[in-house]
Amino acid sequence: MEGETTTDLGPEAALARRIAAAAPGLDAAAEAELYRRLGPRVRLYGRRHLRDDEEAHDLMQQVMLTTLEKLRAGELREPGRIVSFVFGMCRMVTLDIRRGARRRDALLEKFGADLPYADIAIAPRLDEARVAACLERLGERERSVLLLSFYEEETAEKVGDTLGLSAGNVRVIRHRAMERLRACVLGKERP
Amino acid sequence: MSHTCPDLATLLGYWFGELDETREAAIEEHYLGCAACSAQLEEVEALGAGVRRAFAEGHVTAVISSAFAERLRHRGLHLREYRVPCNGSVNCTVAPEDDVLLSRLQVPLQGVERIDLLVAPADLRLEDVPFDAASGEVVVAPSIAYIRTLPAHRQVMRLVAVGADGERVLGEYTFNHSPQG
Repeated sequence: MEGETTTDLGPEAALARRIAAAAPGLDAAAEAELYRRLGPRVRLYGRRHLRDDEEAHDLMQQVMLTTLEKLRAGELREPGRIVSFVFGMCRMVTLDIRRGARRRDALLEKFGADLPYADIAIAPRLDEARVAACLERLGERERSVLLLSFYEEETAEKVGDTLGLSAGNVRVIRHRAMERLRACVLGKERP
Repeated sequence: MSHTCPDLATLLGYWFGELDETREAAIEEHYLGCAACSAQLEEVEALGAGVRRAFAEGHVTAVISSAFAERLRHRGLHLREYRVPCNGSVNCTVAPEDDVLLSRLQVPLQGVERIDLLVAPADLRLEDVPFDAASGEVVVAPSIAYIRTLPAHRQVMRLVAVGADGERVLGEYTFNHSPQG
């Protein structure tokens, strides 16, 4: 595309260019693949900032709908920079959701039927019994730090205040505990 | 945009909101375009969700804190608490409506650097349990799912201070458990 930079040449950029080059809505396969790749990442962004599963799902739908509409309409000047565009949309829509804006309903009403219902894998659910068994194998401080960190998704500083530990100590314990839990639950060693 | 995947410590710092805005934005723009990083972050999220569910469903025994116990109460969870004086005993049970069981072991903690919790007759030794010296108690949240399966029994918890000069018992706590129903 004219004037486009070549700083973002990943598979997402190639898919975005395919969608932009096709007649509106015609490259359904590329749209579904782009949704499958980017949707779960946008949802993660939402979980991190909104700390709520439903709102994170809403964010994913809004961002992906808007992104696909812009691509279909040829309104994205540089489709190759799709990731930067999605990042900007994530920030904007997150602010909207925090303000309680209801853009989603209008967008879904207008474009919902055209959503590429890609087979996206979202939020793999781990077996609680296995997680619990692996937690039991951790040291006491490791287990307490992980529990307090994840139960309320608190910073190391707040967890430290609660447990009488320094924030630096919590970070060290948390990191070690996560590596051990990950290896036990997922059967993976550190990459 | 950074082209290097952050390590686990950085991803955890990101997940818990500990990074400055610039670093946070760089990580976000990176993982939105990176399958490997987003997969790692998904693992962090999935493990975190697993930890929350395992605790919420009563499968985890952990030493927590008074402040955390209060926050559980404010979240609407039904807590059954037994505040046991040093070298004291208590008759206890678990009701169907209880979400979390707490044993609040009252103990003098001045000058204590490390505490181990011994549980009999299970013959468990939980080493180096976390505690806030100012609180004057160690708060244990035993697995309520496991306790529900137990018949009437007697359990003894013992808090032991561990230091360079050896060990000394800080307190002993007896729980006389009766199942409900």
